[in-house]
Amino acid sequence: MDAAVKPRLMRDVVIEAICAAARKDKDILFISADLGAVALDDLRRDLPNQFIHAGIAEQHMIDLAAGLALSGKKVFCYAMAPFITARCYEQIKCVISSMNLPVTLIAVGVGLGYDHATLTHFTPEDIACMRALNGIEVLTPSDEVMAAAIVYIALSSPAFRYLRLDRQVFPRLYGDDAMRVLEIGFGIVRPGKDVAILACGALVHKALAAAEILAAQGVSAGVVDIVRVKPFDGAALAGALKGYRSILTVEEQLLEGAMGSAVMEALVDATGKLDWRLKRLGMRDRFEVVNGDRDHLHSLYGIDTPDIVRAAQALANG
Amino acid sequence: MATTHRINDLDAKALWLRRQLWDMVMAAKNGHIPSCYSCTEIATALYYGGVVRYTPGKADDPTRDRVVISKGHAAMVLYPILADIGYFDAAELDRFTKPGGLLGMYADLRIPGIEGISGSLGHGLGMGAGFALAARHNDESHRTFVVLGDGECYEGSIWETAMFAAHHKLDNLVAVVDRNALCILGRTEELVALGDLRAKWQAFGWHSVEVDGHSFDGVLGAFDLIGRTGGKPLAIIANTVKGKGISFMEGRSEWHNKMPNAEQMAKARTELGLV
Repeated sequence: MDAAVKPRLMRDVVIEAICAAARKDKDILFISADLGAVALDDLRRDLPNQFIHAGIAEQHMIDLAAGLALSGKKVFCYAMAPFITARCYEQIKCVISSMNLPVTLIAVGVGLGYDHATLTHFTPEDIACMRALNGIEVLTPSDEVMAAAIVYIALSSPAFRYLRLDRQVFPRLYGDDAMRVLEIGFGIVRPGKDVAILACGALVHKALAAAEILAAQGVSAGVVDIVRVKPFDGAALAGALKGYRSILTVEEQLLEGAMGSAVMEALVDATGKLDWRLKRLGMRDRFEVVNGDRDHLHSLYGIDTPDIVRAAQALANG
Repeated sequence: MATTHRINDLDAKALWLRRQLWDMVMAAKNGHIPSCYSCTEIATALYYGGVVRYTPGKADDPTRDRVVISKGHAAMVLYPILADIGYFDAAELDRFTKPGGLLGMYADLRIPGIEGISGSLGHGLGMGAGFALAARHNDESHRTFVVLGDGECYEGSIWETAMFAAHHKLDNLVAVVDRNALCILGRTEELVALGDLRAKWQAFGWHSVEVDGHSFDGVLGAFDLIGRTGGKPLAIIANTVKGKGISFMEGRSEWHNKMPNAEQMAKARTELGLV
């Protein structure tokens, strides 16, 4: 962890890595459905044959990516999270998933990342819908170091992956340990004893803030960063959570089928039982759409730091 | 380019293909005869008319032209051909849709000679554009042929790709629209009018021609335009008759995937010269 270096946007780190690899490998292609990034300018300028603008046409982008991947190309598709998932879900299912093609789907602004854009730009369902796809790997970095580790894997062993990038800049959580964490699929970013708070992406940082407050209140909360929600090693997680009495999951997703569900499923499948007190925090069905920034939305939907603190206290005291 | 002698051969091949398809579908009691019969001459022309470049017995020859039957319910039109050119054992035709068999109602990558999965409409042209763009990128000379249903042209993704292919001047990409004017519930022009498809493809930047899709002169003449389109991708609107060759199925939407009764079966077999 190098706190002296200013944290950077995940997408710039990811695109820079792809660009660097693409300079040496002409089979790496980057397709954008009209989403940019500072780092993308270099790729467009220096490698015009390896950058493809699909048009604002995500369905076409995915079918095109399939044809390119079937032709031996290593393809990265890039768009805002809502448009690279639900907008072209049938294409992803029919041509990428069903043929198990080495295409990496890079989504930017997952969850409530496009806060002021509201509902059309939210993806409160993307974990549930994407992890339902046959053969996919679903990954959420919570900092740029993990984002870089994921893109390293995506470049060195191309496969069908969905990469969920946040559009906010977060403090670094990882250093040299990122690759090891990625291998397991989750990282313990703060050890604890009483309550394990499981989160991914942006909410890992709120969970860490909550754990700090909880410590002052006498509750030892650990924080687990769920980097890879599919495939998921339930046995490894069960082992890591053995010493805890309670598990709390928190996410910027509708509760149905999202990370909390995936964790519970994996624990049940691995152990045949759930030996913890449990609570899932997430967005409730029929959530309201309001104006406001991401923190305001977190507060409204009951997934902000104070909500995490309250839920963890309730578990600890129960 | 097509001599009379050659066209007679192609007519015979088309009849052979229809017979093969009939036997497969009737044995399996599964499949879409009318949709296959509307593009029988198109498929025959592609493989036996000297259009598609392929190496018999070598489905993975990297120099091969790519053929995608994007109207996946008719993808089986290729199965007898692919067996005939040695891509797989012709005995597989008898196991069509059967457990343990290679050939499914829709095509997928397990089948040598099939370039991509089909079944859901609207994907083949985008994948085809990927093949064509990759060929350009790799400086390879193979071409890509995508057979689309006219009903498939309702799918917006087709037009997304149409715009893209024209912009990138993918003149190694050919779309053949099997314009049988029928979909499951009736005539396209009465349901949601597709209108002048030749003009629509032209407006999207393609070199677009309209031919009789059952005439080898017409179809081969259109394929002859490949490489002579001023850099544009080629769209061939092939006017066809759904169910062509079986009198009671021709132009009748209700036969999309219906099985004939014994009397109809006998009549069809007679018309196909199977008895």
